[in-house]
Amino acid sequence: MKESVLEIQNLSHSYENGNYILENIDLVLKCGEIISIIGASGCGKTTLLRIIAGLEKQSRGTVEINHSIVSDANFSTPPENRNIGLVVQDRALFPHLTIYENVNFGIRNLSSEIDIPLEYLKLFKVENLSKKYPHEISGGEQQRVALARSMAPNPDILLLDEPFNALDKKLKTELHNETKKIFRKKNSTVIIVSHDIEEAKFFSDKIYKMENGQLTEMSFMTKN
Amino acid sequence: MQKISVIKLWVAIPYIVLAVFVLPILIVISSIFGEWSENWSHLYDYVLFDYIYNSSVLVIGVLFVAFILGTTSAWLVTNYRFPGKDFLEWALILPLAVPSYILAYTFTGLFDTFGTANIMLRELLNFEEQFSLFPNVRNLSGAIIVFSFTLYPYVYLVTRSAFLNQSQSMLEAGRLLGLNNFQVFYKLGIPIIRPALIGGLMLVAMETLSDFGAVEHFAIQTFTTGIFRTWYGMYDIQTAMQLASMLLIFIGLFVILEKYSREKARYTTKSSTFKPKKVNTLKGQSAFLAFVFCFIPVFIGFILPISELFVWMYSYNMDYFNEKFWETAANTIFLGIISALLCSLFALIINFLIRLDINNLSRVVSSFLSLGYGVPGLILAVGIVQLFVWLDRYFFTGSEIILTGSLIGLIFAYVIKSYALSNSTIESGYERISIVLDESARTLKTGNFRLLSKIHVPLLKTSLLTSTLIVISEVVKELPATLILRPFNFETLAVSTYIYAAEERMIQASAPAIAIVLVGLIPIIILTKMIRSSRIGRQY
Repeated sequence: MKESVLEIQNLSHSYENGNYILENIDLVLKCGEIISIIGASGCGKTTLLRIIAGLEKQSRGTVEINHSIVSDANFSTPPENRNIGLVVQDRALFPHLTIYENVNFGIRNLSSEIDIPLEYLKLFKVENLSKKYPHEISGGEQQRVALARSMAPNPDILLLDEPFNALDKKLKTELHNETKKIFRKKNSTVIIVSHDIEEAKFFSDKIYKMENGQLTEMSFMTKN
Repeated sequence: MQKISVIKLWVAIPYIVLAVFVLPILIVISSIFGEWSENWSHLYDYVLFDYIYNSSVLVIGVLFVAFILGTTSAWLVTNYRFPGKDFLEWALILPLAVPSYILAYTFTGLFDTFGTANIMLRELLNFEEQFSLFPNVRNLSGAIIVFSFTLYPYVYLVTRSAFLNQSQSMLEAGRLLGLNNFQVFYKLGIPIIRPALIGGLMLVAMETLSDFGAVEHFAIQTFTTGIFRTWYGMYDIQTAMQLASMLLIFIGLFVILEKYSREKARYTTKSSTFKPKKVNTLKGQSAFLAFVFCFIPVFIGFILPISELFVWMYSYNMDYFNEKFWETAANTIFLGIISALLCSLFALIINFLIRLDINNLSRVVSSFLSLGYGVPGLILAVGIVQLFVWLDRYFFTGSEIILTGSLIGLIFAYVIKSYALSNSTIESGYERISIVLDESARTLKTGNFRLLSKIHVPLLKTSLLTSTLIVISEVVKELPATLILRPFNFETLAVSTYIYAAEERMIQASAPAIAIVLVGLIPIIILTKMIRSSRIGRQY
């Protein structure tokens, strides 16, 4: 029986005007599990990821990571103390840092004998770009770097918000295959937010659908 | 626990800065509730109405001329192509580098009976020595010209930017509805940019009311010269502060009006049918007239004073670079750098706190701090002297005077006056940094200090440098506050220029004056770069 890494209980979130975008969400994510959340634009998928990451605070309910409550109605652990990785569609690489410095940015284990950034750059096949700056590399390469940067600090949970959206089909397929292999190799616990059902099927152990603020597990899962 | 206290300290910074900034101004205003001395009857009987009349006529005259010069030149360079347009588009900002008091000094040097222009004309036309072609400039009309030709770029800059954002479709609709080119300008062009225009005009009004050097040189009795004379002539600081309060109320009204107009200005650029400007080519007489109209402000506001300064400098020979000049320049640059670093630091921290969105009050505090720009240097100086006298008396009893007459007062005044410049530069720098970068850094285990030092500061490098340079150039020009707050025997370039000019030693005044103009060119170069990279400006 795998240990749960993330537990969300009875989570609701409303905007300032009082309209609920998330209502009574319950979710459990086990170690090494990959799940996808799909749904229409503006349905609240990204908001849920942001709440898990600590970038937004829910109106009600609790979020637990590794059996510790990281946020409830009164309290919220800041994002930097949650050990969570996040990759967004526009990559958000730091433009003034080299590729190596970007990947090294979140690593705190300075005593490590292994060159962790280089290890992840190799995993994502971008080690030859380590001295370049983000604007000097292609969109696909930037996405690989963003993934490497988010995984390098060894986060408990990796959150991917439409990470492959801006890529062309060929590049997307290539990156899908490589990324999935890396996730399995590193036993990563991942939540992917996507609007692409095929992408969700390819990656995930479970797929959830977000609709009217509710999260429901979809039943037509094919195991990869 | 340590972390919490650090965060609390950060959050408190805007409020501490605000409290310190506001104190001198409150001290000045509080004088209204104090005793009204006998000197008031003298002021009331002899000079108060002159102060009110001269200040009012001066402001109204300057606003009118600056409006005509600024809006018309902006309209011409944004809507038409004519010979010299590319040069004039940025050259029209150059007079900003020349402080009003330096233009006033060069004007008298040029147009007095024995001024350079009259001498040249007499020699050229072989007239008698008593003959003076140019009218006397040491009067209200002369002052209106001086202020208008140094301050119109404020109007030019805001209206040019607003004209650039006006939709071509709207102007074309005007033409189709029967308006000619001139009618399109004053019936459509001007009314639509009114909020931006008012913003620019308010800056002109505030700068005119704040000036001391030019009106003093022309011997015109205004509020600022009155404050100075009441203090240094009658040795009555209480009455001087009360006069300053009256001026502050005037300025306050302008500041409120300016803020109000800027808030409305947001709506002027939003158009669903935006179509970039089509630039029409002027030919023949029209092209010539457009060139002349745009060239005159550059000539009077920049070329003429600079030429006169160089004529003086040439007469002064290599003594220009004497030891005293370098010492004065070093003093000025030292004050400029310290003030600029403090302004940039405060603006950086306050904008960072606004970005963290810990509470909305930081934003309100920042707007309040920016109002310091509108407070005349003379009033600030009066407030700071009073504050420091009080602090010296109550906190440093038994020892020597510590704060009064020290450099701290000067730097204090410069920081209050220049914070708005740093704030607007760093604020716009922050707007260009995507919030997604902050969020990524957060998930990569980055706390507040690391976010600021490793992400924001490197990305704001250009904004921080720009802010520093702009504040330095502002500090270099500031005269009244420096004159009052400087330590004994301590001179800056502005003070040195003023002292020489007051003694009618214009040739000696040229050295520091040229240095002031050269430093003043720094923000102009930055502005020019910004103008060249502006949206529509890039197309032609």
